[in-house]
Amino acid sequence: MFKSNNVTARIFQRQICTPAPGTSIYSARRFYENIVPSCTIYDVECPDHSFRKFTEDGLYLISFSRNHQDLIIYRPRWPSFSCKEEDCDTHELPPKAKKFEGFFTELYSVSLATSGELICKDFFLYMENNQFGLFATSTAQIHDAPAVGGAVQGVPCVEKITFHLLRMEDGVVLDERVFWSDYVNLAHSMGVFLYDDLLAIVSLRYQRIHILQIRDSGNLVDVRTIGEFCREDDELFLYSSVQSMANPDKSKQLHQMTMNHAANGLHHDRPAGETSFLSGIKQRLLSFIYQGIWKEETDQTLRMQCLKKKFYFHFQNYVDLIIWKVQFLDRHHLLIKFGSVDGGVSRNADNHPAFFAVYNMETTEITAFYQNSTDELYLLFELFCDHFHVSGKNSLYMNFISTHSNNIHNLEQLKSNKNKASSLSQFVKKMLSSLPFSCQSQSPSPYFDQSLFRYDEKLISATDRHRQSTDHPIKFISRRQPNILKFKIKPGPEAGNTDTRSKKISSFLFHPFLPLALSVQQTLFLQPAVVNIHFRR
Amino acid sequence: MGSMLGDWPSFDPLNFSQLRPSDPSSPSRMTPVTYCPTHDRCQPPPNQVIASESRNILLRNMYKRTEDKLRSKRPASEILITDQGLKHPRTSTAESPF
Repeated sequence: MFKSNNVTARIFQRQICTPAPGTSIYSARRFYENIVPSCTIYDVECPDHSFRKFTEDGLYLISFSRNHQDLIIYRPRWPSFSCKEEDCDTHELPPKAKKFEGFFTELYSVSLATSGELICKDFFLYMENNQFGLFATSTAQIHDAPAVGGAVQGVPCVEKITFHLLRMEDGVVLDERVFWSDYVNLAHSMGVFLYDDLLAIVSLRYQRIHILQIRDSGNLVDVRTIGEFCREDDELFLYSSVQSMANPDKSKQLHQMTMNHAANGLHHDRPAGETSFLSGIKQRLLSFIYQGIWKEETDQTLRMQCLKKKFYFHFQNYVDLIIWKVQFLDRHHLLIKFGSVDGGVSRNADNHPAFFAVYNMETTEITAFYQNSTDELYLLFELFCDHFHVSGKNSLYMNFISTHSNNIHNLEQLKSNKNKASSLSQFVKKMLSSLPFSCQSQSPSPYFDQSLFRYDEKLISATDRHRQSTDHPIKFISRRQPNILKFKIKPGPEAGNTDTRSKKISSFLFHPFLPLALSVQQTLFLQPAVVNIHFRR
Repeated sequence: MGSMLGDWPSFDPLNFSQLRPSDPSSPSRMTPVTYCPTHDRCQPPPNQVIASESRNILLRNMYKRTEDKLRSKRPASEILITDQGLKHPRTSTAESPF
């Protein structure tokens, strides 16, 4: 669209040219090639907090106190100072302008964690249209907790996990939801998914997916709980049927409800979590797998052989699968990842078998089921990756994150990795291991747009994760003008680190639309972090 | 009739006949998009309403593949190849998932 690289010429051209339909955001983004955070203030003096991220609308910077008890919110702003000299551009910034307070104003500090609890620093979800923030506090983890009340053996237990819903404008806690003796994977918000106003919280310990709605008033309202029961009235139906077990004629109705081959009948005085029925979601899953295998063959003998080999032989393995992770695909559909108990709690689940199921919450049916090495799911992932990265309809910037489905450079990178891979099924497994996606884990900053800039993805990327730090600056090179370096981001002190032995990790916080970024470099020994501010002067 | 386009000439006098001026009491309501046929070989069915599919393309694909699998007698991997017309190395169906 723009003929020239000069920003003034581009502004004039923008006055008279309309971008092609549907490309107005991409056209506007090209101005980010001209406005880059090329100036760095090294080792800025700032409060010793853990800076977490900018919210997606750019209004707040979230940080936590070092003792994991308090939440401190800053408002990003721009430094302002005046210079009376004639040629100001060449002058160094005055010391007043180089302070953290010049860029960020503290709005408030809220104490979220009571004694015995700690704020989970890795967990934060933001609801953009209402400016609500969701935080989590938890008590310490108990290992080897006994599996009582329907809990899965092998999953750790946390005595109390609390989700706090805050109004970000003023820090008022609007609502809380507590989970007792449960386990939700809070690291990187993996166990919770926010889509529009719907929240899915996966209780790994009790194998339930809690669906909550965040109302405009700030209340967390239960919508449904998927796990033992699928429909809202399943529980009522089941217990009323249990009542009728006393009448032998009606007991036959129970057997028609499930195709669980191991059903020994239900004793009406057995407590809720210890029935011999499989959970509702597991029954749906097994029925779906059964039907799929049944339909593969028409000949009765072949059919039975197929079922024996593919279903009954692995029946116990299928029964033992647990829900690992969940995401929304739209308001009615969930993508659920199933796997073994060991894989659910270990950090590296690559060697454990995993399966994906698409579940329709309204019809309570499983719509699709894939193993994690199937080409079929990989093909859908390659073509429609953007539809796995669901963002709410109100979120403007989150819809433009570069993926291999919307960006040619990402796609080329993916294809080249695919060709270089020694084993295709291993490659497919590796790619699909990123599913289901974690919510809000990518920065919407245009500086990560692969059509604008090229950068080393191992050192920095849109995904907010800690990375190994290097002393060399990370270069952002223009895509359209190859080999022209646009700006550099260098974490750590300006002169480099004197101590080369200790391992350092960096994290980068990019503002969603301003040319402003923070790089935080820390060692693993709780020394104060080195914070640099990168901005456009 | 009070069309916001007034009496501007158009190719077909019936064009823009569905267009109503925006109601002053609710100024933000958008008038629905009108699709006009570009040829007169056949007429569109009367009272046809064109709306976008509420289900996104990913889910539509997943539903379609599942329906094909449940309806058809062919194994799933064959459906994949003939559907897309692409060559994929078939994952071994004898391979144990566990």
